[in-house]
Amino acid sequence: MLKKLLILNGVMAVAQFRDDGAYVEGYGAMPEEELVRLTHFAHDYKRMVQGNVDQLSMFAQVNGWTPPGGWIVRGPAMTVCSISNVVAVVNNNETSLTEVMKEMNEVAHY
Amino acid sequence: MANLDDLMKLNGAVAAFSYTDEGELTESRIEDDSLNNDVLDMLAHMCVANTAIATMQARGWQKLTGMEGFYPVEGFALMGLEWSAVTNNHVGVVLKNDGADYEAAYQALHS
Amino acid sequence: MSLISELAATPGVLAAGEYSFRGDRFHFEGDMDDELARMASIMCRATSMGVHMQADMMSQFAEKCGWVPVRGWMVKEKNYSVCVVANYFCFLDHNNASVNDVVNKMQATLGEPGIDMV
Repeated sequence: MLKKLLILNGVMAVAQFRDDGAYVEGYGAMPEEELVRLTHFAHDYKRMVQGNVDQLSMFAQVNGWTPPGGWIVRGPAMTVCSISNVVAVVNNNETSLTEVMKEMNEVAHY
Repeated sequence: MANLDDLMKLNGAVAAFSYTDEGELTESRIEDDSLNNDVLDMLAHMCVANTAIATMQARGWQKLTGMEGFYPVEGFALMGLEWSAVTNNHVGVVLKNDGADYEAAYQALHS
Repeated sequence: MSLISELAATPGVLAAGEYSFRGDRFHFEGDMDDELARMASIMCRATSMGVHMQADMMSQFAEKCGWVPVRGWMVKEKNYSVCVVANYFCFLDHNNASVNDVVNKMQATLGEPGIDMV
């Protein structure tokens, strides 16, 4: 199922991790060591975003943000995005991020 | 802005550095082989990120609780296993934990 | 006397407490109500998770990085400071309490930091 994401234009690598952060599997144009590192980052970043969104809800007293569904960090040429326990690295020039997020949502909740 | 050479006079200081709003390193003094400008640049980015988060927290806390005195943030410090980094206002100092004087560091950073 | 009681009894300390990294419980003593302490726990926990991630990343840049594992962090605000060591937090008025004394007390009592956040 995860490999389905690699078919999309611009997707360079995809990986999946467990709730405790352990690496499950990963594919794409990256050595496995980097895929493992990517999942560690995604797991940590997910928890950090969750913590900050909890605070946004708490301070602003507004529902609807938490729990966060995912996150996107966009750089000048590359983007890292994640939904649930799936993370992907995509090339900005070759991809439709909307399509990637839509597919990732499906894969993450399969 | 605090003078880096003055910060290096603090007890146990192993590095002092300055950085931009975004966290990019602009100047440094280093007296420990395991530190370099790349590490200080990362450290500065980290302190900028955490100061921003602390600012958000102080703002939210003050508005929600009505308690004054939390905003604005006047410094962020990281206490690691052996070293601490104390930062404020685009300047920071790395101190050995053993004998670190955080109050003196804050005072020096404010000067 | 527990660390929390000792910190809470220190002049200038507003409140002290501990929280679980899982976010499901907290305990505190001092001049705060339950809701404020719950908020304080959420804030401290969120920053601690971020700081651990950042320090781990930073350690990849330096072989003998003196920051890992992280003992804690501290933020100085206008009149108050928040000190966190491991999963313990302390809110103090830094004009009436010594940040050095509080941090040293917390570090001495809590000892070496663990690598896993449970």
